Amino acid sequence: MERQEARAAWALVLPAALTILLVALFPLVWTVWESLHLHDLRMPWLGKPFVGLDNYVEALGDPRFWAALGHTAFFAVTSVGLELLIGLWLALALNRAFRGRGLVRAAVLVPWAIPTVVSALLWRFMFEGQTGIVNSVLVGLGVLKEPLVWFIHPAGAWVPVILADVWKTTPFVALLLLAGLQNIDASLYEAARIDGASAWRQFRHVTLPLLKPAILVALIFRTLDAFRVFDLIYALTGGGPGTSTEPIALYTFNALLQNLQFGYGSALSVIVFLITFSLAILYIKLLGAELTGGKR
Amino acid sequence: MSCRWVTCALITVLLALGCGGGSELPGPAVVTFPISALGAEGRVLVRQLARFMKENPGIKVVQRVTPDGADQKHQLYVQWLNAGASDPDILQLDVIWTPEFAAAGWILPLNQFQPDTAAFFPSTIAANRWQDSLYALPWFADVGMLYWRTDLMKQPPATFDELVQQAQRVRQKGGPRYGFVWQGARYEGLITTFLEYLGAYGGRILEGGRVVVNSEAGLRALTEMRDEIYRHGVVPTTALTWHEEETRFAFQNGEAAFMRNWPYAFPLMEDSAESRVAGKFAVAPMPAGPGGTHTAAIGGAQLAINRRTEYPEAAWAVIDYLTQPEQMRERAEVVGQFPTRTALYDDPELASGLAIPPATVRRIIEYSVPRPVTPIYTQLSEILQINLHRALTRQAEPAAALARAQAEMQRVLNRAGLGTGEPVARR
Amino acid sequence: MRGRGWWPAVVLAMLVGASAFPFYWAILSSFTPESRLFQEPSLLPRNLVLDHYRALFTERSFWLPIRNSLIVAGATTIFCVSLGALCAYALARLEFRGKAFLLGSILAVGMFPQISVVSPLYLLLRELHLINTYPGLVLPYLTFAMPLTVWLLVGFFRQLPGELEEAAMVDGAGRLRAFWEVIVPLAVPGIATTAILTFVYSWNEFLFALSFTLGPERQTVPVAIALFRGQYQVPWGQILAAAVIATLPVTLLVLAFQRRIVQGLTAGAVKG
Repeated sequence: MERQEARAAWALVLPAALTILLVALFPLVWTVWESLHLHDLRMPWLGKPFVGLDNYVEALGDPRFWAALGHTAFFAVTSVGLELLIGLWLALALNRAFRGRGLVRAAVLVPWAIPTVVSALLWRFMFEGQTGIVNSVLVGLGVLKEPLVWFIHPAGAWVPVILADVWKTTPFVALLLLAGLQNIDASLYEAARIDGASAWRQFRHVTLPLLKPAILVALIFRTLDAFRVFDLIYALTGGGPGTSTEPIALYTFNALLQNLQFGYGSALSVIVFLITFSLAILYIKLLGAELTGGKR
Repeated sequence: MSCRWVTCALITVLLALGCGGGSELPGPAVVTFPISALGAEGRVLVRQLARFMKENPGIKVVQRVTPDGADQKHQLYVQWLNAGASDPDILQLDVIWTPEFAAAGWILPLNQFQPDTAAFFPSTIAANRWQDSLYALPWFADVGMLYWRTDLMKQPPATFDELVQQAQRVRQKGGPRYGFVWQGARYEGLITTFLEYLGAYGGRILEGGRVVVNSEAGLRALTEMRDEIYRHGVVPTTALTWHEEETRFAFQNGEAAFMRNWPYAFPLMEDSAESRVAGKFAVAPMPAGPGGTHTAAIGGAQLAINRRTEYPEAAWAVIDYLTQPEQMRERAEVVGQFPTRTALYDDPELASGLAIPPATVRRIIEYSVPRPVTPIYTQLSEILQINLHRALTRQAEPAAALARAQAEMQRVLNRAGLGTGEPVARR
Repeated sequence: MRGRGWWPAVVLAMLVGASAFPFYWAILSSFTPESRLFQEPSLLPRNLVLDHYRALFTERSFWLPIRNSLIVAGATTIFCVSLGALCAYALARLEFRGKAFLLGSILAVGMFPQISVVSPLYLLLRELHLINTYPGLVLPYLTFAMPLTVWLLVGFFRQLPGELEEAAMVDGAGRLRAFWEVIVPLAVPGIATTAILTFVYSWNEFLFALSFTLGPERQTVPVAIALFRGQYQVPWGQILAAAVIATLPVTLLVLAFQRRIVQGLTAGAVKG
């Protein structure tokens, strides 16, 4: 019976597994293979020689590569940090039953559902020009003396990028944390209150520790997503001004599909993959330790 | 088992859907032409193509809307051509893309159609030659020009010294706060501006396979740009973050005495509803320096044929038609784009169509120079942009910046097998 | 945590307002004439026109990308949910060697950065002449849609009581029939949620659609909108009108099924 079960299981699993193999693992292996060659599609006379790790060495010496990594790290830390804070606040607020809660939940969920490029364009529009709505409001309120041209200064260009990302993905974080909150036994709060703990101490000693798994899950998803950011910046700033908001995924894209440097671009792809993978493994280890070791 | 069948059927249907879309009917040659969806330019093109189809019933031109933004258009073209797509049959190229596409083997050499190259401005033809073949026909020319305020001075300056003096004098008399605005952000526009300064002092960027930008002329050009910002104070430091539109707004709002920009700005600034300088400005060639001449960077669009096209003759017919004098004149009237045929500038009808006197335009185009004609121009440009911008933002000295740029550009050229040196082994 | 009164309500109102404002502004602006878009913007409606919407369908044939998105997202969803359900069922309720490894691998694939697989996929699709075709998009979409589907459905299947199939098989049904007739009806809510989420993710996908299509005949909505830019000037009116239309389907889905969506998003995550 067990053998039959196993065979049936493999029969069910095989179509999906094979598809994934074809469209994911095979391309990844190909990317690694390409990264070991010099392959510039615009210069066919150079051929496609094997160059070993030269592309990787070049990447490590490429200032634009390091800048892109820096931008990605900055973006990840800032947006994920903000999303956690605001998301936590939102989750706490939604945790209490109140009239219209369903409506509020739906309202904040809509930004999550729309295409990222659309949200990028909405935010670009609000910050665009000297009389865009953001400039008009800020000047009108006296916060700015003159309208700011947000997109020609590196620092200015990051503001709509971070805001757009926070706007779009905080709902997702809030929902994850909310689910975690709802798993916390209400009696624990009762016990703490009877012991005389203030709201803040209840939060620190009951909520936060029990919310850790949910926070870690949110961190995993959001950090991995933030690291792979592409759509948002492509449509909002194009990586500009110059390349000062260019994340590593966009730099790789430009190397591959703009400059047709397939060998070099593939090396960049592999580096991105390795970093993402390491982050994922790190988080999963942390989460695993949390889930097993954290139990009292 | 039913699930398995359903999925198999689905796969078959999907494959069928995908593979079924490419049947070629015998009949008229179908040529796909990428067009802009925006405004007057789109409309005049649609009109011209309609006329063409009436005169050539055997050819059908299908218009495909493509984005106008240069970077996006480039990325899409590269994707299509590399995917071996046979359409669009005709390509609208930015002037710096021709050698790149030619070297990659994506566009047809046009010599087989015997184009009348002598009728076009030499610089526009030179920009489209690669290894002695012509790969694209110049459709309209964009040139960098000096816009000057006619209400603040009687004549445009002929040299940079005169420009600086005039700008300072005008400001002292209570005129606009900026003397001169040009595109100084770290992007391709900076190279076009720099090219004009460089030519003014008699310098060049590339000669054959040798990078020669680090020359006496180069140093003087870069130093002049820097001095205008920091020593003479006629160019604002914010210009180092400006593209074409920001400089246009500054001039249009009456905040600048001089502006370097492309022709597109002219009709926009003549609109008195939006512009404070309508009727109060004119254009001239960029100033010259000692040892050089007036120089204008050349831009504009060129028409090329996709090497994989199934209808090369039909595609050529379309290109030939669109570059005929009547069509060029119509474009000049409707959109204000400069024709690339020299003879048209003697035509009195052109004068009534163009907002700028044809004699001035002709002079400026005759002063025009292409950017270095090489397949890896975008890479070289990037290196040069970075170093020029560092010198202009005072993060590096001009001499050091130019030396670094030249060395780096030469290395890249050699590695691509396009330089004078042997392909250098990787570090 | 009670006793704060109105303060949390105010903050919540502000958050909801901040969430909704970009939409409000976009919708309002999409009905504003182009020349007034950047002149003295007003927060209240004034001078509403339909020009941009009209232009979308007359000058740009915007219905083409809409059709393409519907087909691609729909096909991806059907494909993934059907294959994924089979796979998830096996992973959730059957015992066999290598199960943990397989599940882990499928999830790992879902974490691949898209950029890392875009160039070989491009070359592969080019060899198969699938560039600019519907299968040429659905196939790459499986890289992220299939892991998502499998993961969500594993969570839902695990929640069902354990002996259901046994009861059916004791009655003489084969394993697959047991699945089809007993498990699936009970898992319909979970399958529906999975389908909705897969559809939303596929509808919103950008990088693959950008890289593997060549023109309006096959481009999806996000790509079409992102490519509206002009050389010096941007047609904001049309872009915003297109954005409103592009977000309409998913917005309606979210509003109608928000409870399901929330359940789906959080189920697999927190249960672990």
